[in-house]
Amino acid sequence: MSNEFTWRYTTLGVLLSALAGFIMVQMLRIQISPQADDLRLKGMAYSGNLTIITPARGEIYDRGGNLLAGNTTVYEVGVELADVENPGTIALGMNAVVGSNYDDIFAAASVKPSEEAVYASLARSVTAEQKDRLEQLAGEMQKAYGDSKEQDRPSLAGLTFTPYLQRSYPEKRVGSNILGFVSREGRGYYGIEERYNDQLAGEARKVWISLDPNQVEDRPNVPSGVSLILTIDRDIQSEVEKILDKAITESGSEAATIVVMDPKTGDILAMATTPRLDLNEFWRYDEIFMDSTPFNRAISKTYEPGSVFKVLTMASALDSGAVKPDTNFLDTGSIEVGGNIIHNWDRGAWGPQTMLGCMQHSLNVCLAWVATELRANRFYRYMQAFGFGRLTGIDLAGEASGRLKIPGDSDWYEADLGTNSFGQGVAVTPIQMAMAISAVANDGKMVIPRIVLSFVDQNRQYNTSPQIAGEPISGETAHTLTEMLATSLEVESSIALVEGYRVAGKTGTAEIPTPTGYTSSQTHASFVGWGPVDDPQFLVYVWLEKPTTAPWGSVVAAPVFRQVVERLVVLMNIPLDKDRRRLMDN
Amino acid sequence: MNRVQNLTQAYSQAPWRKQLQWIGLFMLVLILVALVAGIYLSVSAEASSNGRAIQAMYAQIERMEREIEDQKTQLAFLTSNDEMAKRAEEMGFLLVNKDEVLYIIVPGYKRSGQVILGSPPGSPVPGASMLSPEYTQSLFDWLRERIFEPAAPLVQEVRP
Repeated sequence: MSNEFTWRYTTLGVLLSALAGFIMVQMLRIQISPQADDLRLKGMAYSGNLTIITPARGEIYDRGGNLLAGNTTVYEVGVELADVENPGTIALGMNAVVGSNYDDIFAAASVKPSEEAVYASLARSVTAEQKDRLEQLAGEMQKAYGDSKEQDRPSLAGLTFTPYLQRSYPEKRVGSNILGFVSREGRGYYGIEERYNDQLAGEARKVWISLDPNQVEDRPNVPSGVSLILTIDRDIQSEVEKILDKAITESGSEAATIVVMDPKTGDILAMATTPRLDLNEFWRYDEIFMDSTPFNRAISKTYEPGSVFKVLTMASALDSGAVKPDTNFLDTGSIEVGGNIIHNWDRGAWGPQTMLGCMQHSLNVCLAWVATELRANRFYRYMQAFGFGRLTGIDLAGEASGRLKIPGDSDWYEADLGTNSFGQGVAVTPIQMAMAISAVANDGKMVIPRIVLSFVDQNRQYNTSPQIAGEPISGETAHTLTEMLATSLEVESSIALVEGYRVAGKTGTAEIPTPTGYTSSQTHASFVGWGPVDDPQFLVYVWLEKPTTAPWGSVVAAPVFRQVVERLVVLMNIPLDKDRRRLMDN
Repeated sequence: MNRVQNLTQAYSQAPWRKQLQWIGLFMLVLILVALVAGIYLSVSAEASSNGRAIQAMYAQIERMEREIEDQKTQLAFLTSNDEMAKRAEEMGFLLVNKDEVLYIIVPGYKRSGQVILGSPPGSPVPGASMLSPEYTQSLFDWLRERIFEPAAPLVQEVRP
């Protein structure tokens, strides 16, 4: 019996062995075949995903910890082409809810699925509300037509929603010129967003994530971008912007700029200018900033400042000893410098004047004489020490350096010394002026304006330090000039004066250069002031472009300074001078 | 010869007993293999289940991080300068003028300094791995750790 079955067992054994051998041979053949690499790659493709982990963009805060730029979840809406049932419904839904172009969506959703065409992106930056509405519509359609066997039944099947973070600006327009914006591609443009784009964006990493739960690995910790704390005070910025807008309306100006700075540290507390953009609608940039309008006039637009520049001419002359506050000058109404006749703003002769009188009445003739007393070399050495003709180094993108012609330049003439002394023929930015004048308000030490107070990287806060750009004048000169300018405002009963607070300042009215010479019909009106005089805590620079109600800085810019200071003292908790002294004594 | 045969017969086991021994041995091996396979399957299943849980947790972390960012931004919108001014106005507050502010000396009061959003540089920040070893080490790693590495003290020293 055993012999009877032996051949059967033997046959079965041989067959099974042959089968096993065949499988082994086939496995070996596949392993060493020319297609082996392709097959391995295909296998790899299904075993996991190569994912780019993009860290959240760093946030931007004001000096009080208020969020100025954060992130919010938005969605990319796309379609899985193999699941699309009705491209028409998808196009209609996207058009109605997101506002996408019907034809574009229809074309994208109608693509035949293939190995190359699996997914199509339909729209980005879709809000959570829009996504919810689309999902609701999809659900309602499924409920109403889900059982229908019709070929073209309405359906949003195939729609997918991929969440991601996008920049969001809770303060909308407030401080927009300082912040800049981030495009849909995640790149920062203008202001802080451009200047610190690399730090804010962080470092994206490519990671292979296995779908096999047995091969799950610790994912690399991709830290968020660096967060920034700015020197800007949100409340001051907002108030200053309101005052600026009102000033433009009241003075009929074309544009305006106000810079508020702490003269001791260089902290920019507010930097308001026009036009401003709601940063959450950054795509409207082109319609708001037309004809190469600068994004931030305070740092990018150069102009001839006019009489506010006299502060620096006088500072240089006092510091060098060329004049003293009580030096007498006989104003005859005109002076010739380098063949150019210079007149006063009113073309009048003001007779004998001290230097205080020259500043008080803003006499061009006197300041041109002061510059000649100082001589060209020394005058321009001082102006260079004040930082003109080069960048201030403020940490914002798009700063302009302006232009200061100096002896030796091909286009410098001796006549320039006379006109430069009262702010004509030099191109400066408001931030350059604020930095230069900070030397007068800060014991002769000129500070570099700064916008970033601290960096917060991986939960560690790194504070920046105030930087001294130089000491163009002595502390004694700074005090003398501050006293002169405070007195001149008081003697003139300037409308820049703030009751209860002693401030120093200077007005400026500059004619605008045209291809055919200077025009008196249009001016730049400015005012620079600081205070309280015995312990300066703010420096305010006001610039109104082409005011129409009055051309004079003393009429249109000085009251703006007063309005700003009246709000500043409240927001910065600066008591009235008498109270402050009493509190300090205690 | 017969004697030897008788002795061998006397001490040799019955065929049915030998068969039973073989069957027993086979069953023992089978049970051992089944046991090892069972343990392996159980451990693998648990590892897979934990792996899935980790994958789900990673997705949850991403979702929560987005949610945190959203909430922070939403809060900032609700407390933005314009919104706060509007709310203050609705509640009857007025902008204070410089002459209306009264400053007084409060002994011991220190004006709040710079905003703090992170620890100062140099301070220790614990850098812990996100996954504990239980999720990554193999059975052999675990055994090696238990056998070769010194056991943790029963009572840990507590420092004040």
